[in-house]
Amino acid sequence: MVLDMILALPLLGGAGFVAWRNQAAGWIAVAVNGVALALGVWVAIRAVGNAPLSGAEGLLRADALSAFMVVVIGTIALLASWIGVRTMAVEVAGGRCTPRRATTYGVLVQAFVAAMLLAVLAANVGVLWVAVEATTIITVFLVGHRRTRGALEASWKYLVICSVGIALAFFGTVLVYLCALHAGGHSASALDWTSLMARARHLDPSVLRLGFALIVLGYGTKVGLVPLHSWLPDAHSQAPAPVSALMSGVLLTVAFYAILRFKAVTDAALGPGFSRTLLVVVALASLAVAASLLLTQRDYKRMLAYHSIEHMGLIALGAAAGIPLAIAGVLLHIFGHGLAKSVLFLTSGEIMAAEGTSRIDGVHALLARRPTLGGVFGIGLVALLGLPPFSLFSSELLMARAEFQAGLGWAAVVALVAMVVIFVAVVGHARHMLLGAPSTPETLAPPPAWVATPLVMGLIACGLIGIFAWPLSGLLEAAAHVVTP
Amino acid sequence: MSSAYSSTLTLAAGAVLICAVVVLWVTSTRSMLIVVATQGTALGCVAMTLGVHVGDAGLIATAAVELAVKGLAIPVLIDRAAGGALDRERRPLVNVPASLVASAALIVLAFTAARGVATFVGATSGALVPVGVATLLVGFLVLVSRRRPIFQMVGLLLVDNGIALVAFLCTAGVPFLIEVGVSLDVLLAVVVLMVLAQRLRSEFGDLDLDELRELHD
Amino acid sequence: MTSAWPAPSVVAVSVLQVLGVVVGGPLLVGLMRKVRCRLEGRVGPPVHQPLLDLRKLARRERTRPDRASWIFSVVPVVLVATTLVIALVAPLLSTDPAFGWSADLFALIYLMLIGSVVLALGALDTGTAFGGMGASRAMTIGALSEPALLVAVLALSIPAHSSNVPTIVARSLAHPAWLATPQRLLSLVAFLIVIVAESGRLPVDNPSTHLELTMIHEAMILEYAGADLALIKLGESMRLIVLLALFADLFVPWGIATAPGVGHVVVGVVAIGAKVAALGVALAAFEVAVAKLRLFRVPELLAGAFVLAVLAVISALVVP
Repeated sequence: MVLDMILALPLLGGAGFVAWRNQAAGWIAVAVNGVALALGVWVAIRAVGNAPLSGAEGLLRADALSAFMVVVIGTIALLASWIGVRTMAVEVAGGRCTPRRATTYGVLVQAFVAAMLLAVLAANVGVLWVAVEATTIITVFLVGHRRTRGALEASWKYLVICSVGIALAFFGTVLVYLCALHAGGHSASALDWTSLMARARHLDPSVLRLGFALIVLGYGTKVGLVPLHSWLPDAHSQAPAPVSALMSGVLLTVAFYAILRFKAVTDAALGPGFSRTLLVVVALASLAVAASLLLTQRDYKRMLAYHSIEHMGLIALGAAAGIPLAIAGVLLHIFGHGLAKSVLFLTSGEIMAAEGTSRIDGVHALLARRPTLGGVFGIGLVALLGLPPFSLFSSELLMARAEFQAGLGWAAVVALVAMVVIFVAVVGHARHMLLGAPSTPETLAPPPAWVATPLVMGLIACGLIGIFAWPLSGLLEAAAHVVTP
Repeated sequence: MSSAYSSTLTLAAGAVLICAVVVLWVTSTRSMLIVVATQGTALGCVAMTLGVHVGDAGLIATAAVELAVKGLAIPVLIDRAAGGALDRERRPLVNVPASLVASAALIVLAFTAARGVATFVGATSGALVPVGVATLLVGFLVLVSRRRPIFQMVGLLLVDNGIALVAFLCTAGVPFLIEVGVSLDVLLAVVVLMVLAQRLRSEFGDLDLDELRELHD
Repeated sequence: MTSAWPAPSVVAVSVLQVLGVVVGGPLLVGLMRKVRCRLEGRVGPPVHQPLLDLRKLARRERTRPDRASWIFSVVPVVLVATTLVIALVAPLLSTDPAFGWSADLFALIYLMLIGSVVLALGALDTGTAFGGMGASRAMTIGALSEPALLVAVLALSIPAHSSNVPTIVARSLAHPAWLATPQRLLSLVAFLIVIVAESGRLPVDNPSTHLELTMIHEAMILEYAGADLALIKLGESMRLIVLLALFADLFVPWGIATAPGVGHVVVGVVAIGAKVAALGVALAAFEVAVAKLRLFRVPELLAGAFVLAVLAVISALVVP
């Protein structure tokens, strides 16, 4: 029942946009997303140490891992819909968007959130697939919202590449289903997560190996892992800021959640060796690509997008280690990255609206000229680069420790080298954007407090969970045990 | 009876693959649409044959959904997207003879690569699994070698049909609920692509996709 | 299996085949020309006109380009000789011709290929621009059509477990169900495309063109005259009829003589004559209906035939 409500609430918010068609609808959406988050927190608290909740006649199921993802999605959705009110108001006022398109935007964002929630709450990996594919279709219009040439190009690339990827993931799912049927599964329930786990030991190894490889490749497309990552910087840089925040902050990790689920099945059937090799390869390749492209980046939204590829690589590497400690680190990283990255994308939307450009060399002396925006952007980058006291520092530390324990120390060292390169690159770009003296003494109005507050709150949350992991530690531990033996 | 079953299945599955190859061959949108519709119908026939053979009502319903979506709705939608324009693939990145020969290589590759799954599934349907894989690979070839928006849409459809064929042959289709979700997603993806293709045309005029150069590093 | 037949009658059948090919070839060309003319609303020359042309040409003086070597003069002879060998051993009238054991499909195809290659060599030998152009075009087409034909034939020989043509024909007569299998249909289409390309017919090449730039085949024989030209024309018409007859026997084998006796052979003659004539008429009608393909579409057609042939082999291997 609670799960049904969590799913229905964002849709209700979407209906609000159709009913009212004004800024009030935006606030209603923020409110329902807030309620959904509260429910998610309740589910999460309940999920620790209890049997999984289920809903919608067994189609939905929330164990600790799902509950954790619901909390992450709820948090970022709350942030993004809050800033979304501002973004649309600015766009409509500036004549870049009609009220009608603003309505469509609101409905689609809420549908997008609902699809992600469905993906993590689905009891059945087939439904999971349908939900992830649905996120692609919904977000295409959001990416193309601005209808510029760049936005059109990005949405075309995004849809074609992700559809191919997701089709491969379906192929992988079919192969897993085939194994499950041969292992005695009943056709209606063979793709259920519990039934798959129960039969994992009897799944045919060679077919499962092929299936899992396809799943990593397929869902990896949506995660933004090499080799099918090329859509990501385009889509993330062209979408409106709140959509970028949602896509980069949670959509990527929702797709990674799918890989985590299948990895648990595969590890139970084949032992951890196969999935480890596969994930280490894609993780290191993604890190290398992100590092090399970040060095020469000239656009700050694209810079953030490539930074997402880097973090997805780190998460994949953590997952490769596979022990509970590593998975806990991965999940903490998912949360921290979601918070920091969405705050940064939302801020970058504000910067872009104020400065009129997304080029790094078009923005100067932000700290002096726009202290609030510049400060949030700067601190967000500090968080994203994994510096203490933010949670990404703790999670990276956790993952590195786990990697050394699991015998992947060499990979952790390689990742560290890539991170140093990225650190240098990002600091170089950020210095150009943030520091320096303003060339013209201009007085600029800071963003209103209701816009700045959620951004600052997001960063504070990111810092708090870094310092005090205690409200999360029980949940993280329980969630990690869901996908580790 | 069982021989009629296996030959119908073989014929329908073979038609799916041949349609994929023919997509590489044709350059005009009109004839390509006929091929796409034929392929969708053949795919529906595969599902229908399997459904009748196994006596599974869910699979027969799935087949009906496939026939309606892939045999009818999607070709009609693509036709709308083409807008009656005489949209030809004039300069594919890989010319037609080369891509045909490449498709022959891909087909052989598919039959070698999918042998494991084929023997695992067994029986006639197992022997036909590589046909689906081959269709998938040919779809990839269309995707990377064609530059018109419509042709890329069709490439995507080929990939999808290939996987659907494998799904039918391997497992007699995924459960009905999921199948409906999958078909709906595919249909929506085509609708979205169609809308995008129209916007691309109104924004850029008549273009090849590799002329999109706004975004790069 | 030959023991029941007395050798002389077998030899007689083979001789009949050779005679039929030699006389039937020009007649087939005449028939096709007639059909074309009729379809285009003209009366056209009589069916036996090509035979008269050959007689006329044979009486004329043979000329040779100054720079041509001996290759130029042996080309017509080799062309006719290879086709005669095929006519002798292939199962055109009966499934048991003399030397039928040597009628391997691959051997037959390579005999055909020898003909094509010497023609191109002869064209190159003259050193003229048109000859070279025709030869290079013919070889471009051959490079695609030969693999297609080989693979298509492979698909036929897999279910018969033999590449011996008389055996394949006899076995497919015994198992009519084979004729409707996918691999048969695929290789049939591939075979048909290759026949059209190999025999220098439309839509690949237009044998009645007089514009050198569009020529493929005709450009190669521009320098021949007199008896040489007569031999080449005869050789070409023989190649066409042999290809059509082989095609007919492989895909529509009914009517071919499977047992000794005058009655069977007569039925065989009538059947093969009717089949070849029907194919020739169909080919001619097709020529009228289809405009000549632009030269760069030709490789596409042949590459398509190649893919179909590959599919045929795969389905022959995979589908029992």
